Amino acid sequence: MASTDVVKGMARARRSGISVMQVRIVLLVVLLAGWEIMARSGLLYRDVVPPLETIGWALIKLLSSQAFYWNLAVTVAEVLAALAIGGSIGFMTGVLLGGSRFFGRALEPYIYYLGPTPKIIFFPIMIMWFGVGPGSKIAMGAVSCFFPIALSAAAGMRQIEAVLIRVGRSFRASQWQMAMKIYLPAMRPAVMNGIRLGLGIAIIGTLLAETKLSNRGIGYLIMQAYSVFDMPRMYALLITLFAFAIGANAIVGRFGGPAKRQ
Amino acid sequence: MNQTPQSTAPMAGQLPHVLSADNVTKKFDTAEGPLVAVDNISFDVRPGEFLSVIGPSGCGKSTLFNIIGGLTPDHDGTITVDGEVVRGPHPSIGMVFQEESTFPWRTVIDNVCFPLEIANVPKAERLDKARHFINLVGLSGFENRHPSELSGGMRQRVAIARTLVSQPKILLMDEPFAALDEQTRLLLGDKVLQIQQELKQTTLLITHNITEAVQLSDRILVMTYRPGKLKRIVDIDLPRPRTSDVVSSPAFGAYVAKIWGDLREEASRGMAESERAR
Repeated sequence: MASTDVVKGMARARRSGISVMQVRIVLLVVLLAGWEIMARSGLLYRDVVPPLETIGWALIKLLSSQAFYWNLAVTVAEVLAALAIGGSIGFMTGVLLGGSRFFGRALEPYIYYLGPTPKIIFFPIMIMWFGVGPGSKIAMGAVSCFFPIALSAAAGMRQIEAVLIRVGRSFRASQWQMAMKIYLPAMRPAVMNGIRLGLGIAIIGTLLAETKLSNRGIGYLIMQAYSVFDMPRMYALLITLFAFAIGANAIVGRFGGPAKRQ
Repeated sequence: MNQTPQSTAPMAGQLPHVLSADNVTKKFDTAEGPLVAVDNISFDVRPGEFLSVIGPSGCGKSTLFNIIGGLTPDHDGTITVDGEVVRGPHPSIGMVFQEESTFPWRTVIDNVCFPLEIANVPKAERLDKARHFINLVGLSGFENRHPSELSGGMRQRVAIARTLVSQPKILLMDEPFAALDEQTRLLLGDKVLQIQQELKQTTLLITHNITEAVQLSDRILVMTYRPGKLKRIVDIDLPRPRTSDVVSSPAFGAYVAKIWGDLREEASRGMAESERAR
């Protein structure tokens, strides 16, 4: 049977000590080789699928230009501001929804149903309120990451074991001590998870807005390259964007750490 | 020690009792009308004694635990500690809960330090005291472990050390060994006996386990099934200092039989009622 052969092959691969990293590298090489073959075959427009060498040169040119770093800084600042604003409002909303059964039941359906709506439909309003510059991008990112962070904080609040609160009360902890020593640490794993989700969504919201209408940022550079049909430069920008997203996730992952639970 | 100005006792130990319950009653409103969980219970706890409250499931034991601990405010009757009426969690009463109650994000020593942090005790003193009580419950060497790395019995010892570190006059425990297996329960009972005898710690234990109650107690209050009333007080006249070896003595067996005689009809009444409700 073919499928048992595959299974046997996989078992052999594990025994022979092929690491996960090796598999990843092989996949990447295969994809790049496929790209290169398509680019050189002449079956596709060379301008749409340029050879790797061309993209490589475009990437080097991009990374040695000052304008790129300035625009990257704009995007990073926008995402961080969006996460700070949307995250703190989302966290406070989540605490309110999770802490009060009444507010939770009254308001949570709105968050559930608005959450999956594409926030880009609010972008015209954001432009009218906050202008064409970074303000409207921050607003888009903030609105996007508000939802997952609010829902995670509400869930984290509800998951706190009732007995831990009774322990705090039995030792006569003040409201402030209860918040700092019981509620916040107990909610930490759920909230960190929300921030991780929120970061990804803030990046999406911010960049989407930048590609729609803007005058600076990575999204702006991508659309600029596209409008003059400079495909190698556009691909180089996409590569830097992947690197940015992976790096940002790694940083949040480190902050979150492994959740200590029984 | 005595924060109560109205306390008239010149010598500690001369007080007839540290805690008294007077006509304590608790009703709950349920869909089927009011339910009397605790019905007019009165008793005293003498200094240094180990007193157990035993009853079948559903007799309102845990409700009584929460009332004494000051976590259930709306009840009739009064709980008095050292002449002070309990209107909320009282510093003289230290509670140990039935459920898993260690903080999973804190190490053993940080768990035990918790009540001292709440009371703003300086850090050096906090660590000293915490180490002393960790040693007392036999967990030296585990100070920097997290609860997830310990067994259920060890976690419950952390919870006991955390309550003892606040040096309460009365240690109030609600079925602290309910989630543990029988052997661990007996061994942990030994530990509790040893600590209680060493500290002369006044202890009030809520339990449904007869052997546990006889093994540990000086007196046992037997409660009836719903509404929870006081049925009988049994004096346990077994020698002290005591260990788990007493469980093999004939006198121990006689006490267990006597209390089971009292509890049997209550427990079967409870069982019949819960089956009827099904």
